[in-house]
Amino acid sequence: MKRSLPVALLVLAAAALAVLPKFVESTYVLHMMILIFINVIVGSSWNILGGYTGQYSVGHAAYFGVGAYTTMILMQFKHVAPWWGVWAGTGVAVITALVIGSICFRLRGPYFVLASIAVAEIFRVCALNLKDLTNGAEGILVTDIPPLMIGKTQITDWVSKVPFYYTGLSFMVLIIAVSALVRRSKLGYYFQAIREDQDAAHSLGINPTIYKNTALVISAVFTSLAGSLYGVYVGFIDPSTVLALDLSVQIVMICIIGGIGTISGPVVGAALLVPLSEALRSNAITDALIKAGLVNAESKVGGFLKENLAHAHVLIYGILVVVVILFMPEGVLGFFRKFSALAPRQRGEGGRRPGEGR
Amino acid sequence: MTAESRPSSGASRHLLPASGAKALLQIRHVSKFFGGLAANSDVSFDVNEAEIVGLIGPNGAGKTTLFNCIVGYYPPSKGEVIFDGRRMNGLQPDKICKLGMARTWQKVRPLTNLSVLDNVVVGALRRTNSVQEARAHAHEQLRVVGLDAKASLLAGALPIGERKKLEVARVLATRPKMLLLDEVMGGLNPAESEEIIQLILDIRKKGITQMVIEHDMKAIMRMSDRIVVLSSGEKLAEGAPKEIVENPQVVEAYLGAEE
Repeated sequence: MKRSLPVALLVLAAAALAVLPKFVESTYVLHMMILIFINVIVGSSWNILGGYTGQYSVGHAAYFGVGAYTTMILMQFKHVAPWWGVWAGTGVAVITALVIGSICFRLRGPYFVLASIAVAEIFRVCALNLKDLTNGAEGILVTDIPPLMIGKTQITDWVSKVPFYYTGLSFMVLIIAVSALVRRSKLGYYFQAIREDQDAAHSLGINPTIYKNTALVISAVFTSLAGSLYGVYVGFIDPSTVLALDLSVQIVMICIIGGIGTISGPVVGAALLVPLSEALRSNAITDALIKAGLVNAESKVGGFLKENLAHAHVLIYGILVVVVILFMPEGVLGFFRKFSALAPRQRGEGGRRPGEGR
Repeated sequence: MTAESRPSSGASRHLLPASGAKALLQIRHVSKFFGGLAANSDVSFDVNEAEIVGLIGPNGAGKTTLFNCIVGYYPPSKGEVIFDGRRMNGLQPDKICKLGMARTWQKVRPLTNLSVLDNVVVGALRRTNSVQEARAHAHEQLRVVGLDAKASLLAGALPIGERKKLEVARVLATRPKMLLLDEVMGGLNPAESEEIIQLILDIRKKGITQMVIEHDMKAIMRMSDRIVVLSSGEKLAEGAPKEIVENPQVVEAYLGAEE
């Protein structure tokens, strides 16, 4: 019974998302949803390695970029359709993960974090300089995506956002299902045992190297799927977008803000962060403040906000992370869970609020 | 040098309480050096099946180092560890656990953010791939140590006495042939120690061999079939508890020489 409720909610949410494009015509809403899906996928993938297994990789942009570059190079230069290229991307990501894993997993804790950053930077610098393969800093621009045909019928020509929406949705449902399955399986127990105490886990018959690499491979496969989807959807990639340190940090932040080690944490994190960064970037917040009459557009403050708020999204991100770490160490989700668990108990214990009866 | 102090497998065989017992663990001339420091030098003895062997010695005698060499936490610098007829030098701890030897830690290492049950499930998954089966087996082991009522608590919330029991339940769940218990009674009150002694004797009834490091002399004398004394990394004596308390060298190591 306990399990059936969240599952029912999940199915309901998936169904609602599945029919959404039938009712919403706004391409902006669909665009936002696709970005949220991509962020949920990368967040959930990172969560399997960082949240379950406790290996805080701050280099996940490497897998995102490797996926994106493989798919895009195959499509643009070799004329391989992206729905094949995506799987080639996951293959390259698996190889990348095993190479990175075999090097970085010799290190623990903060040293692993530093190594993961360094390796991701190596990939960025390579992509920047291997101009024959990647076009270097110019990036790869998609000129046209071949229409998806089954037999003689055309399924989609990829002109509207709807096919991308469904691709993103299905990848997202897949990674959430995989997260849930892993969590309940032997793998999940072993991942968490390694997170809690690697030496104790080792002495209980768990080979940490094998299981850490397993977690990394699962994580890398889905991160590369998200990267490929991003590349084909946006139609342009370059090293400073798909292989950037910013991206690696953002992937971690989705989980920190939502709640590390939980299935719904990355979903909550992405659903909060994507609209927030979009609102900051598009100056929507300043406009709203002006509209509400809180800030005069002509005043110094209004001018300052208009000028600078759009560039301040990284700053605001940073402040948000500090606030979350200080006041909600288990993420937004953990905070509300604790809050709802505490409230009835406090009422039960005499029902007296502090300060009352003095 | 007395006969007891000489590392000789033949000598220890003569001390067997039951006839026909087989040596499950053979430690052959094991030495461990950290730089120039010999934490263990040329230690040899056997542990027979279903036996409880106490490992005692003053602080810094090399007891935990010897444990670590046996379970593969680090390899011995010299010598051999043979378990169940198989040479174990160079094997990783997970392999050694698979072969049927499990250890507890002197400083307990619970998986703090997992429930008490899940801690034991991790051990139980050593022998099965089914989480459901592992949970059933874990509940069984928690009943053995008397922690079943606390199965759903977080392991980090347990007091020290119960953490020690959890460690035992967790290694029992791996279905070992042999347990190495490193000071499972350290920091416990007399009532809790008594429970652990009973637990260790119960485990022996299941046919599981045990090697126990302990500082509580009364407890170790009561539980052990044989005792091995280490001092400054070397084996000082080996024998039945009664022989050990009467051994002048052991008394000297613990209390200092008479002037």
